[in-house]
Amino acid sequence: MKLSLKKVDLILGSYSNEEYKILFEMLSRNSDEILKDLIESGLKGRGGAGFPTGLKWKLCAEAVSDDKYIICNADEGEPGTFKDREILDRVPKRVLAGMALAAKVTGAAKGYIYLRAEYSFLVNKLQKELEEFHKILKSNNIKFNVEIFMGCGAYICGEETALLQSMEGKRGEPRNKPPFPTTTGYLGKPTVVNNVETLVSAFMVCRIGPEEFKKLGIQGSSGSKLFSVSGDTPKPGIYDLEFGLSLAEFVDEFGDGDTKAVQVGGASGFCVPRKKFNETTIGYRGGLTGDSLPTGGSMMLFNSSRSMYNILRNYLDFFAEESCGQCTPCRIGCQQLKNGIEAVKKGEKDPEYLNQLLKLSDTMKITSKCGLGQSVANSFSSIVTNFTEEMIY
Amino acid sequence: MPKFTLDGNEIEFKPGETIIEAAKKVGVDIPHFCWHPSLSVSGNCRVCLVEIEKMPKLAIACSTTASEGMVVHSQSEKTLSARNAVMEFLLINHPLDCPICDEAGECKLQDYAYQHSKGESRFTEEKVHKDKRVPLGPNVMFDGERCISCSRCIRFADEITKTGELTFVQRGDRVTIVTFPGKEFDNAYSLNVTDICPVGALTNRDFRFKARVWDMSATKTICSGCARGCNIEVWVRNNEILRLTPSQNDAVNSFWMCDYGRLETFKQVHSNERINGVYMKREGQDVKVSWDEAYANAASELKHLNKDQIAVIASASSTCEDNFMLAKFAKSVLSTKHVDYIPHVVPGSGDDLLIREDKSPNAFGTELAGVHPAAGGLNRDAILDGVKKGTIKALIVVDEDLAAMSPEMETALAKLDVLIAVSTHHNRTTALANIIFPSATYAEKNGTWVNFQGRIQRIRPAVTTLEADRTLDNLAQSRLDKFGTEYDRWGRSVKLDARPVWKIFAGLSTAFGNKMKYTTAEDVLIDMGKSIDAFKKLDYEKIGEQGVQLELSAKVKA
Repeated sequence: MKLSLKKVDLILGSYSNEEYKILFEMLSRNSDEILKDLIESGLKGRGGAGFPTGLKWKLCAEAVSDDKYIICNADEGEPGTFKDREILDRVPKRVLAGMALAAKVTGAAKGYIYLRAEYSFLVNKLQKELEEFHKILKSNNIKFNVEIFMGCGAYICGEETALLQSMEGKRGEPRNKPPFPTTTGYLGKPTVVNNVETLVSAFMVCRIGPEEFKKLGIQGSSGSKLFSVSGDTPKPGIYDLEFGLSLAEFVDEFGDGDTKAVQVGGASGFCVPRKKFNETTIGYRGGLTGDSLPTGGSMMLFNSSRSMYNILRNYLDFFAEESCGQCTPCRIGCQQLKNGIEAVKKGEKDPEYLNQLLKLSDTMKITSKCGLGQSVANSFSSIVTNFTEEMIY
Repeated sequence: MPKFTLDGNEIEFKPGETIIEAAKKVGVDIPHFCWHPSLSVSGNCRVCLVEIEKMPKLAIACSTTASEGMVVHSQSEKTLSARNAVMEFLLINHPLDCPICDEAGECKLQDYAYQHSKGESRFTEEKVHKDKRVPLGPNVMFDGERCISCSRCIRFADEITKTGELTFVQRGDRVTIVTFPGKEFDNAYSLNVTDICPVGALTNRDFRFKARVWDMSATKTICSGCARGCNIEVWVRNNEILRLTPSQNDAVNSFWMCDYGRLETFKQVHSNERINGVYMKREGQDVKVSWDEAYANAASELKHLNKDQIAVIASASSTCEDNFMLAKFAKSVLSTKHVDYIPHVVPGSGDDLLIREDKSPNAFGTELAGVHPAAGGLNRDAILDGVKKGTIKALIVVDEDLAAMSPEMETALAKLDVLIAVSTHHNRTTALANIIFPSATYAEKNGTWVNFQGRIQRIRPAVTTLEADRTLDNLAQSRLDKFGTEYDRWGRSVKLDARPVWKIFAGLSTAFGNKMKYTTAEDVLIDMGKSIDAFKKLDYEKIGEQGVQLELSAKVKA
């Protein structure tokens, strides 16, 4: 049988001092050609939501404005995700190169790296890199300036519009969409907000060409992705894997032989129980594979020593803490789900009550304003339905 | 105009309009808490979620712009189940202390809970506790537990007053509203947040626990605080005004009124200083007399004097009808040329939202109604000068405390042969008067005021007097009135013996042998329209709920 689990070395591999030289070769190309390559490659956002990157840049390029912004979303906050810090630490030139490409295509002259508060240890190194970057841009007569903007520790600010609010000095709360940031973003101007890895992938697409890139992965989920592997595994770490991998093979490779569940996509992702490992592939939704589970790269493995109740309660603690509290369903739903499973566990409520909670989490999915509230139901329903007994006894 | 379909009906919309706006224009109210027509869109309450065909998810009607051919369902099963679910969410933490909540009866959450929720909750856990009874400022009290975090108050302070005192703090279910450190929620318009708060989280400290809203009658009228003429409602129980609230008029005050107007313009209606009945000075003492006796006495006193020795000072707080009658009496009955009024302008006291420097509600209307010196007559300064010099022997003064202006003035007034005071309250001038006629306040009569824009608006009686005829004056009723219980606000209340100024001058005129044929204030207005162009063909129905912009000649405008 052909293995679906293929390790590659695209994002972090063969990094050298030549990165900027390669960038300038690309920058000499026509913007339309760059866009065409990106769209052709099928590259989708690596932060988890999976919006087509080429289309995002195109929308921003088409927006009419004197000021436009490129923002690198380095507010990596999803529990179990730690690949962006590695990218920024190991291949920062590629991140900046990706931003410069985006700036060229969209016509932006200003960029920001929104850096997670906990990643302040990266600041000095990034700052040095920026100085070199600016010097080289200047000597090539390219007007693009990038600044670091420090986040303040809120999970919700990883959501692109909450991130923009935060940058504008406001409370970190998601905005209504539409309008989307590509037309009405930072300070109301057209803005591209891309995940760190997306920017690097965009740069790599231009570098190896869309045809080469598409050879990786499966249709609808092209390319490879950095996975943050953690939990009950003998080899935790960052791995560059092609999309379309089956979860069974993933567990064969990374499991400790006793894996009972894998949480794909962090606290806001889905929990897959052992019996479904074979039927689950990792990629984007809506591709030919249909049932592929999306992920921002977080893969947490749990073995039989773990209580799924504790895991779920931990997630709900996290969401109840991090919900911005703006919209009704999320503000009250997170608290209610958490109180609810505690009551069932303590025997204060009948197990039947879990069904009410499942309905409640479905409502959150339909009615919440942003991805946070909409995705609490992912882990909640997948854990409660697959591990009902652990919730009760 | 482009059209979209809402629940099977085609609705026209202007490009850029949201679904909720377009629906509101045709009278369809899509349930909402956080959306407010004059504030920015927040989209946080999620009650206005509607189903839109060809859209994968439900969308909020407040921020989704309508587009040609869009098909929207606000009553579909999907929409209703989402709405019911959101209502359930909102009620999970809401204290449901409606029996002791001031907002009960006019609470959006209460109304929607009846209309759009299931009536019972699946959740019975302990509710989240937050701070209660937090004074945000001198006028506004906050209850964190009742708050549903709609952010209307925050947006009001940011966008309308631009003072930005309020903010959310904390996250998740701990979210609450505070003032910024070192700041109080103390601006000229702070109490408007108690009106736009959809629940009882923000209450008016002046009105808290005074009455249940359904026990009061609400009468649409105009604020007397300045020349803006904000549209308001006067809330009355047992013939006593308990609060004022703004009422929407986009041409005048939008949805708002200032705190001064709201708090400081109604209490004097029930002050102990109100004059109850007619008084005449006899041997230095004020003695209560009948209206007819006072009219006859005034007429006989004034008849003795030379018409050049008589002056009349009108009030810019009186109605157009009052002042038309006053001017008519002065010029055609007394034949004096000395008629004027005293403006009350406080330079620098205005702002660019509502508050005007001119503190009189009807200065414009007073002038239009004909209160100005006739050719060769003395103006206000000259009249007062004449009083001091003794060339004016008799003065009729309406609602102005001239004696309080200076000791010199007070002495001069005391020396007048005849001083007739028409006044709502006892003051230093009425203390010197030979005859005191009690006048009705703005809250006790019908009439019209013309605001600074030249817009004529109706004031209506909310409080009854002995004079006011209940049916003729169309007084609003409270729930208790409608059932005619013994707690009826008419039954137990104090009814003052006071009359509108126009009626007092009509009575004086009759005593002079010139009977005026007016039964109601509206008769006076209709008659004014025959001689004054600005009031041409107006009646109360035409002026209606929102007032009418007067057509003014260029000369008047200048």
